[in-house]
Amino acid sequence: MNQRKKSLQLRHVDAGSCNACEQELTALLSKDLDIQHYGIDVVASPRHADALVVTGPVTDTMQPALKKVWDAVPKPRQLIAVGDCAAGCGVFQNAYASHGGVESALKKPDLTIRGCPPDPAKILDMLREMMQN
Amino acid sequence: MNEATQAEEIRDNWIQDNISRKNAGDVLLALTGYRDNQIKTHWLSADGKMKAVTTTCVDAQFASLSPSMPEVAWDEREIHDLFGYQPVGHPDLRPLVRTPRWPDTFFPLQKRSDDFAQWNDVEPDNPAKVVEGEGITIMKVGPTHAGIIESGHFVFSIIGENILHLDAHLFQNHRGVEKALESLPIQEAKPLISRICGADTVSHQYNFLSAMENLAGRRVPESVEWQRIILLESERILSHLNDLAQIPAGVGFTVAHQRGLAMKESWQKGLAAIFGHRFLFDAMYQEKMMASKKEQLQQLLVSLETMWMKWRKLVSRQQGFHDRMHGVGVVKREDAEQLGAVGVALRATGVSVDMRTIMPLYRHNRIHIPQVTGGDVEARFQVRLQEVEHSFALIRNALEHLQGKNQEASWRIPDDLTGEVVSYSESPHGLNVHVVQMKNGVIERYHVRSGAYRNWPVLALAVAGNAVADFPLINKSFELCYSCADR
Ligand code: SF4
Repeated sequence: MNQRKKSLQLRHVDAGSCNACEQELTALLSKDLDIQHYGIDVVASPRHADALVVTGPVTDTMQPALKKVWDAVPKPRQLIAVGDCAAGCGVFQNAYASHGGVESALKKPDLTIRGCPPDPAKILDMLREMMQN
Repeated sequence: MNEATQAEEIRDNWIQDNISRKNAGDVLLALTGYRDNQIKTHWLSADGKMKAVTTTCVDAQFASLSPSMPEVAWDEREIHDLFGYQPVGHPDLRPLVRTPRWPDTFFPLQKRSDDFAQWNDVEPDNPAKVVEGEGITIMKVGPTHAGIIESGHFVFSIIGENILHLDAHLFQNHRGVEKALESLPIQEAKPLISRICGADTVSHQYNFLSAMENLAGRRVPESVEWQRIILLESERILSHLNDLAQIPAGVGFTVAHQRGLAMKESWQKGLAAIFGHRFLFDAMYQEKMMASKKEQLQQLLVSLETMWMKWRKLVSRQQGFHDRMHGVGVVKREDAEQLGAVGVALRATGVSVDMRTIMPLYRHNRIHIPQVTGGDVEARFQVRLQEVEHSFALIRNALEHLQGKNQEASWRIPDDLTGEVVSYSESPHGLNVHVVQMKNGVIERYHVRSGAYRNWPVLALAVAGNAVADFPLINKSFELCYSCADR
């Protein structure tokens, strides 16, 4: 587990976001915040990930794919909900093809980062905090 | 007249009337389905006049326009999926939005009551259209991706290194936004409208407000109009900066990519300080704020322009970068017009269409349309470069008109609006249209036809014949949002 304090590899799945949450995640990789600096990175395969980051309220069409990606993340693993939609309190909550967030679509997230969208600096802070615990 | 000839007449008039609007050079705003078997098209002529053409489904069928107007092929498939009306004569009636997981009897926009039972426990995949033959490989990508991007599923038919055909299966992010808006009290609809799309939010807010104002007969004060121009142009800059930063990433030109993102970030931080949100969500609903922030915005503009000039120099002197963009992902002018392309993708083929020249909001501005041809990645890059600079000028001009204090308290939408109205604007991704039907202050129908929706089929055409490895570059040169297409 000690290794995890030094690095955190994330895989991202968009499950119906409005794309602002994605833009803020992308901002983490820009030179302003530079998450790689802190040992955090976004990886291409769930097999290489320590944690899965989900945005959006989880549409029905994305739900099976999301589950497959989660199943492919090796244990121990963590599930992170980014944004109010994924947290289960966004504006699309009651739309017919929305499962109303990560918890009702998959399982209770280990970390929930609220905001619509959350500020990138806040995302970074909360990810770093998670690494410490 | 017997029933059969009557039905035939309905069909012929529907097709003829629409074709003659198109031949007259009108812009198709939307093709919209309604619960009471009605289908309508709304057309806009260059002088700003709107015209609707209507048909009625007989036995849940209507005549497909797609054989003569390929730009509505998706719209008709969507109506088929969501209402269950069948466009007779449609060349490709595969499901577009619905998946095998939807119960067969579930047509979400058809009924007011939720007759929804349970999703079927199967995979959501729809049949793909592929090219068959010796040496052809099928490559599937998505719906989840290796980076931070929206979800979409792409089926490529490939021969050697080249793409023969791309079948784009979008709507992975379909939440059911139009239905969610129905029966919402109007005040509660506002935050949802803002979040139809993170990249075109201001344009959606504008369409919503302008629809409500039209129904209420409100005369918008000029100072508020200038503020709206500032917001719309600020969003265009934000979105174009993002897209301009992404294109160099498509060819590994990391310095331009990172510096582009840095410009975007500084603009976004500045906008958040002035308008209270990094993406301008809900910013237009607030009418009171501007005059006091005038100086702040002026300074922000100056500091962005300084970064911009340096960045422009950096990208213009890299000949290798331009060589990589040149001749890649070409859209021919005829194809763009035939498929109803909008926005940057259309203007990059040499067509001078920008809705701002028709929008009454911009009547005191001269809109400069970039004269670019070629229809390739380079052309789309150049159009955005020029449009960013034009937006700088439009904001400057608007700031000059914001004299004194704006005491305007925000307008409250009346709670009793009734009627149908169509509103439109030029979003960063092109023509964005809302068709709104209200009854006693409650939304009856809300149809959103965004710029990205029209351009997805154009992108699919643009990649055919190109190397698979250039797909990311071509894709980024369109940078279409999934969210406002999928809804
Ligand atoms: S939380 Fe807000 S910003 Fe994020 S996807 Fe949902 S609506 Fe968009």
